[in-house]
Amino acid sequence: MNLRYMMKELYYQKRRTVTSILGLSIGIALLIILNSLSSAYRQAAHVPLKEIGADITVQRSGDVPKELVGAVFPCSAVTIHKEEVEKVQKLSGVRGIGAGLLLWVFDPNRAWIVLGIEKDNSIGPSLLRSSVTEGRFLEGSKPEALVEQAYARQFGIKLNGTISVADHKFPVVGFVDASRAAKIAVANVYLPLKEAEDLAASSKQLQSVSPYAPGDVNLLFIKADQEKITLLASEMKSLLGNKATVATPDSFLKLLGSLFALSDKFTLAASLIAIIVAVLIAFKTMAGNVAERAREIGVLKAVGWTNRNVVSQLMSESVIQCFLAGILGLLIALVASFGLSFMKVNIPIPWEMSPNPHFLPGGGDQIFKTLRLPVHIPWNLAFFAILLSIIIGGMTGGLLGRHISKIKPSEVLRHE
Amino acid sequence: MSKSTILSGTGLSKKYGDLEVVKGVSLAIDVGEFACLVGKSGCGKTTLLSLLSGLEKPTKGRVILNGKEMNGASEDVLALFRRENVGFIFQSFNLIPTLSAWENVALPLFPLKMTNEERRKRATELLGKMELGHRIEHLPSALSGGEKQRVAIARALINNPKIIFADEPTGNLDSSTGEAIMDILNELHKEEGVAILMVTHEDELAKTANRLIRMKDGEIMS
Repeated sequence: MNLRYMMKELYYQKRRTVTSILGLSIGIALLIILNSLSSAYRQAAHVPLKEIGADITVQRSGDVPKELVGAVFPCSAVTIHKEEVEKVQKLSGVRGIGAGLLLWVFDPNRAWIVLGIEKDNSIGPSLLRSSVTEGRFLEGSKPEALVEQAYARQFGIKLNGTISVADHKFPVVGFVDASRAAKIAVANVYLPLKEAEDLAASSKQLQSVSPYAPGDVNLLFIKADQEKITLLASEMKSLLGNKATVATPDSFLKLLGSLFALSDKFTLAASLIAIIVAVLIAFKTMAGNVAERAREIGVLKAVGWTNRNVVSQLMSESVIQCFLAGILGLLIALVASFGLSFMKVNIPIPWEMSPNPHFLPGGGDQIFKTLRLPVHIPWNLAFFAILLSIIIGGMTGGLLGRHISKIKPSEVLRHE
Repeated sequence: MSKSTILSGTGLSKKYGDLEVVKGVSLAIDVGEFACLVGKSGCGKTTLLSLLSGLEKPTKGRVILNGKEMNGASEDVLALFRRENVGFIFQSFNLIPTLSAWENVALPLFPLKMTNEERRKRATELLGKMELGHRIEHLPSALSGGEKQRVAIARALINNPKIIFADEPTGNLDSSTGEAIMDILNELHKEEGVAILMVTHEDELAKTANRLIRMKDGEIMS
């Protein structure tokens, strides 16, 4: 292989070189963009759960309360017993667990969505700590409440004032901004878990629909080994019965509805098509280039170049062209992914995961988690694309070189 | 084959399908001899040249070049043998359009392990002899027909060949440029002692050679 000859060939045959590089770079860019988009949707699907510090959420649906009076469970989140929580905790792959107790409280002149939280557990709604806009977060073991900022404004609830929820009095120690908080298990009032347990245990209406004892919960937030999430989800489903709703990043991915989010198979098929298109483009343009150079190859052989010399020369030219195409494809993909990263994606949060009484203002509205699509090109994908370009170059150059090196110089050098 | 013979072909035939282009030709070229193969277009001159230079394999017969039997040798062995013993000059110059004059001259040296400086030095010396010292960096597209052919002659000489095969070397040149090229070939043969086998259809040019070989319908007439 002669470097000087190779560089001059690529430089002076600009049309040839540019056509080859552009053709292949488009295929490579497609491959990178498709995979980046797919990975971006996957990452986006993790966000709703990540915001609540979990990989999996678990709840169980039950009966609708006969009368909406006092504290009740939403029909999408009824009792998960203490013993069941302990069994879930023991499953292999569970790294941590957080619990919550979500209640609807219907007082004579107001309805509340109340969430009891473990204030010191980093898994679950205690992440609200960062969304406190006024006052402070829950602390100590005293009965106290955090109120959602917009709700407080609507009903004139004052900081350091007192609210009465199901005849229990709570001083308001802070306001939280729900728009900054996780979209799962959104509430108007946040109480220490113990206080919410007392509300639930003392409600006859609640007990008649779904028997409850302190220590039971109706929301579980689980941190798990990433590779075991799917397996754990099915184990939890069989442990808690058919009515259990187990949400994983995959559940949100399905809700996104994009082709890129729907299946790995689509991405794989699209990537394969992109690779095949890239190979065909490379092969076709280079076959044309090599055919144009038949006479030149004849001269090389006549002056003493062996078949191997010819093949290695053509192969090196092809590898360099494909390498440059890989770099250009990567640059195109970088620009495209920058553009795509401005795309907004709305992840629907199922009503069951953030239940809101339908008859309250905005109760039936679909909640979305809106975020910018986190499109970026992972270094391993970039490396793979460049490596693939080089392999395509080597294969194309090698195959075409072997083919063209078999020509007889006498056939192509006969004078006109 | 005597010690003074550089090239010998015995009973050479070449058939393309049913068409026999070269018919049982035997021919020997001595060391330092300038032989000219003349004949009308289509009489088989170029095919015979290809057989004798190892560019093509004969249907029948054998070729011995510088003591080496060419029949049965693989393509690569023949290529290596050509690199060490043979130079070619073609009618249409066959220069690589993307390479400069000196790089075209050095083309046979590219597969050899040597530095570019060495290649350039050898090529520049030869181009100097061809009075093209001022054109070494020019691409073929910037050269006249005569200059291109002189570059091609320098390329044929770069490996110090024992014999040069020239196929209608003046065919694409005007008469005065053609004469200049013939002068260079004569000088090479006289001063360097290189054997030359030249194909032409012009009797006038052939007269400058030591020996005239006439061909007609695939056979040697004289």
